[in-house]
Amino acid sequence: MIVDTDHPNKPEDFEFEPHIYKGGACPFCYGNESMTPPEIEVIRDQYTFPNSPGWQVRVVSNKFPALQIEGDLERRGLGIYDLSNGIGAHEVVIETPYHHKDIPDLEQFEIEHVISMLCQRGLDLIRDKRFKYIMVFKNFGAAAGASLEHPHTQIIALPMVPKNAMEEIKGAQDYFEFRERCIFCDIIRQELQEKERIVIENKRFVSFCPFVSRFPFEIWIMPKKHSCYFCHVQPEDLPDFAAILKETITRLKRVFPTVSYNFIIHSSPVNGSDEGVEGYHWHVELMPKLTRVAGFEWGSGFYLVSTPPELAAQYLKET
Amino acid sequence: MPELRKDPILGRWVIIATERARRPDNFSIQQQESPEEKECPFCEGSESHTPPEIYAVRAEDSAPNKPGWELRVVPSISPFLKIEGELDRRGKGLYDMMSGIGAHEIILETNQHVANICDLTEEHISKVITCYIDRMVDLERDQRFKYVLLFKNYGWAAGAGRTMHSRSQLIATPVTPKRVKEELAGSQKYYDYHERCVFCDLIKQEMDSKERLVLDIDGFIAIAPFASRFPFEIWILPKKHSCDFVRLDFNARLELARIMKKVLLKLKKGLSDPPYNYVIHTAPFRRAKVGFWKTVDEDYHWHIEIIPRLTRVAGFEWGTGFYICPLPPEEAARFLREVEL
Repeated sequence: MIVDTDHPNKPEDFEFEPHIYKGGACPFCYGNESMTPPEIEVIRDQYTFPNSPGWQVRVVSNKFPALQIEGDLERRGLGIYDLSNGIGAHEVVIETPYHHKDIPDLEQFEIEHVISMLCQRGLDLIRDKRFKYIMVFKNFGAAAGASLEHPHTQIIALPMVPKNAMEEIKGAQDYFEFRERCIFCDIIRQELQEKERIVIENKRFVSFCPFVSRFPFEIWIMPKKHSCYFCHVQPEDLPDFAAILKETITRLKRVFPTVSYNFIIHSSPVNGSDEGVEGYHWHVELMPKLTRVAGFEWGSGFYLVSTPPELAAQYLKET
Repeated sequence: MPELRKDPILGRWVIIATERARRPDNFSIQQQESPEEKECPFCEGSESHTPPEIYAVRAEDSAPNKPGWELRVVPSISPFLKIEGELDRRGKGLYDMMSGIGAHEIILETNQHVANICDLTEEHISKVITCYIDRMVDLERDQRFKYVLLFKNYGWAAGAGRTMHSRSQLIATPVTPKRVKEELAGSQKYYDYHERCVFCDLIKQEMDSKERLVLDIDGFIAIAPFASRFPFEIWILPKKHSCDFVRLDFNARLELARIMKKVLLKLKKGLSDPPYNYVIHTAPFRRAKVGFWKTVDEDYHWHIEIIPRLTRVAGFEWGTGFYICPLPPEEAARFLREVEL
């Protein structure tokens, strides 16, 4: 990646597509439970009925799933090509009954509920031995690819490990075998020492603008303690994780009030694809959608970062 | 039934989401508005608005940086990389850095205010191709560079600026980009095992099955690739094996111009002039040195990848390298075959 250190972009220099609520009938809102497929899992008040009001966090399958849950995985060849039927799970975690409440607007305990729900779904999906990788991600705002504006997180369970995840894990594993240390633990150590890219830190988590940012104002959130799987987050980690997630996105939105963003939870593969993952360290990658990715990035895999991560961290820290 | 398909070169899986597929003609876009155009600095007569030209095709009696040109190449006003200086690789703790040495040039493809290259004549497009080749050959002489990436951003959503004047860009880099390396490595792996070029095999299969074929003209084919990442993604490949774009002879340049014009016109007509990117995928400079890639001539096959920007690419897709394509390439190809020019 290439960082522009001579003419760094300031926050006001970005011309991004603002996120504006359009409203309209929303299948994720309170009272519209019948507009979604039936709930798979839910946190709801006592004495309320499934698929009716009274819930705080609700999980449903995606109405337009990219993959389907029934059937056996059948891989086959077609001349030089390889393919398989699209087995997988595609679920939506509706974070709140309120249409306009993004993570910064939620109370800490509400965010804890969302996180523990994500873990719970992850653990349940792992029990299905067909799945090798659980992807947890959030698209917020149309510019970031969200088709519904009501805040939600998605979970996709895949029958194979995506290439990028495989490469990242392999990179971490090579480092681990060479130095017998986790590269992410080393990164955390170096970042905490240098401090210039740190956004915030609490007892168990740290958020920082990574040295190798691919996008301006990219932020990573990492548990300080080495851990391979997001789903294994312990109850004692929850408050700190919820707090740093809320604080980080709040700061991002203070710098860019109408920003759209994505976050992806990077975790280890599961069910037999997790050999040699002891060198991997789960984390969240948060990417505000400030730029239009164009031909060069896509053709080269190089990224041009118009705001150095040190400067981005400073804006986020001081806001 | 959705399908998971594997790219035969990169080994990347994509989901072809057949169930949720929209009809092909439903992809013409919900575009975000592009900002208003200002006065064009790239038209004939505005030469003083650009840095001095590096290369031009111009009338014999005309002077540099004055009117009388057909094609012009100028350095970028806001270069990603700088041409002067030495490569300086260094480490800082865990991290590796080097200074940003490179060339960033803008190829002005016409002196008229025409936005889309497909509205130029075939002869003119073949001159543009010659210009691409001349610049690449020239930059190869600079020992600091390993690769020239040539690409076009057309339309605001594809990353172009405000000015709708047909142009491409090139960037010469001191390292071979990761994406290019992966493609080279994937092709080499296939060659090691099969002793055949993966692209040649792919071309043969596509010409036999015809399902994903968009056009087959002279020495080139245009296909919607089997593991498309985006709806209406198209690759143009030369049928004859060659790893290096710059070796195209005069006739082949005309043929390439013909198929490029047709493909891009079909996109324009069929999908209401969508924004797009294209990138020329070609072999890196082959200079003899330690670890020099000896087999690239046999195992790699240059081609052009075109991606119309019809859907938003979520950061999710960039972040994971995992793509969900909402339209099967077979349907995209059929739709484009039927667009009449």
